[in-house]
Amino acid sequence: MTLVEKILAKKAGKKVVKPDEIVEISVDRAMIHDALGAHTIARFRELGVEKVWDPAKIVVVLDHYVPNKDIDTAKKCLNIKKFVLEQGIENYYEVGKGGIAHQVLVEKGHVLPGMTLVGVDSHTTTSGAMGAFATGIGVDEMAVVFKTGKLWERVPGTIRINVEGKLKPPIMSKDLMLVILKRLGISGALFKSLQYTGSAIRGMSIESRMVLTNMAIESGATNGIIEPDQKVIDFLKARMNQRFEVVHSDPDAEYAETLEFHADDIKEPMVAVPPKPSNAVGVTEVEGTKIDQAFIGTCTNGRLEDLRIAARILKGRKVDKFTKVIVIPASQEVLKAALAEGLIATFVEAGAVVGPPTCGPCMEAHMGILGPGEVCISTANRNFQGRVGDVTAKIYLASPATVAASALKGKISDPREFF
Amino acid sequence: MELKGRVWKFGKDVDTDELFAGRFIMGGDETSQSQYQEFIARSGLSDVGHRENVPKGFLAKVRKGDIIVAEENFGIGSSRQQAAETLKFKGVQAVVADSIHRIFFRNFWNLGCPAIDLPGISAEFETGQEIAINLRRGTIKNLTTGKRFEFRLIIPTWFIDMVEAGGLIPYHKSLHNVKSKNQSAK
Repeated sequence: MTLVEKILAKKAGKKVVKPDEIVEISVDRAMIHDALGAHTIARFRELGVEKVWDPAKIVVVLDHYVPNKDIDTAKKCLNIKKFVLEQGIENYYEVGKGGIAHQVLVEKGHVLPGMTLVGVDSHTTTSGAMGAFATGIGVDEMAVVFKTGKLWERVPGTIRINVEGKLKPPIMSKDLMLVILKRLGISGALFKSLQYTGSAIRGMSIESRMVLTNMAIESGATNGIIEPDQKVIDFLKARMNQRFEVVHSDPDAEYAETLEFHADDIKEPMVAVPPKPSNAVGVTEVEGTKIDQAFIGTCTNGRLEDLRIAARILKGRKVDKFTKVIVIPASQEVLKAALAEGLIATFVEAGAVVGPPTCGPCMEAHMGILGPGEVCISTANRNFQGRVGDVTAKIYLASPATVAASALKGKISDPREFF
Repeated sequence: MELKGRVWKFGKDVDTDELFAGRFIMGGDETSQSQYQEFIARSGLSDVGHRENVPKGFLAKVRKGDIIVAEENFGIGSSRQQAAETLKFKGVQAVVADSIHRIFFRNFWNLGCPAIDLPGISAEFETGQEIAINLRRGTIKNLTTGKRFEFRLIIPTWFIDMVEAGGLIPYHKSLHNVKSKNQSAK
């Protein structure tokens, strides 16, 4: 069996599972955030049970609409906090304590290899970088998970994405992922799992790997996953003291498909043109496109290495006079490290606005919303029409390096000029 | 169980931002069912004038019992359940599409509304035709053209019971009641 099949078999209490089989799995971690948490709680209350199945397995992170932007968002967050206190949920991250849920789950050591994690968010797949089965569900299902600790799942067949070689800066894992999505298309992995393997993946930081698992959902995949190696083990040991067992794919595992990629074949930074994350082109094809906003942040690319490469490009320079440049670290921990390294000072001096750890203008939640006809280049994961404001606004997706280079010129620009 | 209704033919790549824009996610009082339903129904497909994959007149004329037949990639994107709820509360009782993305698929079923993926089905329907779906037999019929199609869903065995119960939450409540009755019988 593949890594995912082995995890699901174990959690379903079965010796063997096969792709497309329906199984009932036990849930090790369940995450809600402010965008859908109050809805989950309302549906849980409808079920008529008083206590959640296991408060220690629930993680609550306020990240989409914080600091609260209006009365509606404040009310929903209050309902969530009340529930957390009433149920005795310890893993609660108030604004200023956590950051974006997918980042917090990993950096606080909540997700361990071999675990099952569900969240009321499609990008819950991010935690697959820890070698866990991590996927998104809706609020009614989460209410039932809160009651039972169980979830049904259609076992996804595994598509192996094998990447050899080494990405050369400023080419980043985001560029690789846009290339992968171009090949797969937006439904290329529907009801399947993406497992990333190969020397390029092994050579990557955990932060870079999280970009790949984060955007697995953009191919329709149930989840994205990477076998945990020593890097992951060391990372986790520094963050928690729980025992865990590392699960590997069997040598004779059957893959639905193997797609081969080589780092050397990515000749230039990539940009996904609106309105699909799978619409990747080389940066030179869209170079010079005028932008109104440049955004560096999100659960895709708001980590320390992302801020470092952006700061390297922005240091000692000024961003374009007419471009709104927004930098939002993915978590308090990232913000703290970026402050210590002087990255935040670099952004502020360059003329960018730095926001508190939150989802920001990745979706139409809070801050950085686009007006009619505006163009944004963003490090986020989705560029659907109308995702971040007016339906006529346009979103281009790129790496932090490409977004930083574009911020300087007020138009889509090739970061290689700065390397 | 058989569902019958009037067809609205959608195009491809209907995403969850389109079905329910982010700006409405925190709206609606989730603790009051009637207020919530009204808000969710009203807020969906808010930018429909800019969308080529939604048939003309859908928002104005959709009524209870209608069925969407869509091209590929229906429901791509977010886990926001409001994307599924808005269709249900507007009256749509089922979605049939060439392909349906995982979270939308689950969310729509969980509301007690079948989501059926069958590659190529969209080419067989036009807006205004009549459709009949037999869930237990796994058949779709175009009542206007008389053509019949078979589908095989990969879903849990209890899913059709769940639809008959009105969705996941009512289904779980009924399980709970059965359990309490059994316990009190002892």
